[in-house]
Amino acid sequence: MKKFFDKVKNNEFYKAWFKDAFPYITGAVLLSVFQIITYITTGSPWGVSGVFADWGAWIFRALGGSVDRWFAYSSPSAQATLEAGILNHAGSWRNIGIIVGALFATLMASGFKFKKIKSFKQVIAAMIGGLLMGYGAKVALGCNIGAFFSSIAVGNVAGWVFAVFLFLGAIVGSKLLVKFFM
Amino acid sequence: MTEKSIISKVSTSRSSGKKKSKINQIPIGLLVLAIMIGIGFWLNTKSSNLVLFWVTGLAFGFILQRSRFCFTASLRDPYLTGSTSLTKAVLIAFALTSIGFAAIQYGTGVEPYIAPLSLATCIGAFMFGIGMVVAGGCASGTLMRVGEGFFMNMIALIFFIVGSLIGAYHTGFWDYNFRVNAPQISLYSGALGILGGVIANLAIIAVVYVIAHKWGNRKKND
Amino acid sequence: MSKEVFLDCLGEACPIPLVKTEKALAKLEKGDVLIVEVDHSCAMKNVPEWAIKHGHNVEIEEVEDGQWNIFIEKV
Repeated sequence: MKKFFDKVKNNEFYKAWFKDAFPYITGAVLLSVFQIITYITTGSPWGVSGVFADWGAWIFRALGGSVDRWFAYSSPSAQATLEAGILNHAGSWRNIGIIVGALFATLMASGFKFKKIKSFKQVIAAMIGGLLMGYGAKVALGCNIGAFFSSIAVGNVAGWVFAVFLFLGAIVGSKLLVKFFM
Repeated sequence: MTEKSIISKVSTSRSSGKKKSKINQIPIGLLVLAIMIGIGFWLNTKSSNLVLFWVTGLAFGFILQRSRFCFTASLRDPYLTGSTSLTKAVLIAFALTSIGFAAIQYGTGVEPYIAPLSLATCIGAFMFGIGMVVAGGCASGTLMRVGEGFFMNMIALIFFIVGSLIGAYHTGFWDYNFRVNAPQISLYSGALGILGGVIANLAIIAVVYVIAHKWGNRKKND
Repeated sequence: MSKEVFLDCLGEACPIPLVKTEKALAKLEKGDVLIVEVDHSCAMKNVPEWAIKHGHNVEIEEVEDGQWNIFIEKV
């Protein structure tokens, strides 16, 4: 068994496809391929953050709350999505797929390791960062994928505007990171 | 300037330590693969659409992790470290995807949803920009890193969900004060036509690419 | 006398290993070696990339699953 896996470890295809990191450009090309596949097959470009609001609604329900009278979930299609549940929700499966796909990639490279919290600062940073991203994505109607990558690719001028302010925000975020969270 | 070169002078006790068997995770990876396929089959009993989303999600996750692709870094590093390699890669992705999307719009004759442009776009983007750098990952990056085992990004994901829920609660406010009557401007659907529009998009990408390239070649303090 | 300095960046989030590496390397002299310990997949790519761009000699070693040591010899 060990000999077999040793052979695998040294195999050139294993190294190229699963072990060594792809160049960024390879990533860019492959992401583009799958964006195009997504657009053709689903009629919409890739999006990530919209799903999180649904996850929030389901969790809120599970904790006893209800979003049924919220304007954001008032449309028939939104209500139908919530009623059908997460297991029937395509977008949710795509997001879960991202997690599992990354997990698979890391394991195949034998690079998986739990990275535990190192300091309380990290917890605060994660909380603040997460909240800002979640809320900001709702305000801008998308995240780095839906309002940035996909938006620019469909020719939406709003995508470029998003890009500019995303960049400015990143600068402020960097200053905060260095000042408070390093 | 040398590329990577072997450091022969270094003689640390650490570097001579044998790495623990490098392949002991591959079997687990194959197990995960089996689960991925199994879930695929199960989803297929519900609808082929779910399988499609599942497979494309897996692909995105795999690609992002394998190439260490990071949108956050593409916008943060030019400022923080002077590096623009990811910025340029992101721009290349934009270019290729733009061409594909324009072609699809031409072929199907269907316009995709164009999100309205308003002050909310700017405010939301700015908030997201701060958040993604502080949290150590954007939306796709957070999901990717959850899959890689980062506890910090799992916390970020939880609060991303919380923030989204709060944001959803305020949808009416932002719609009413900012988005109502806001223009929806697509380069592909305007006076330029689809071809003119995609060329315009590519031109913008090209200009930004050149700027990024020159910025990346600046060496601080050298 | 060239020295070796360890920089423990285990568990640090994305840009932090690189930022710490820049600061630490600035304090070293020519010929010194900085050994950066990372477990972030981004860092094992962007730290060497940065170091090579600035002309230093770089070598990476995978220490265990998901953990790398990046040896940077200041030039």
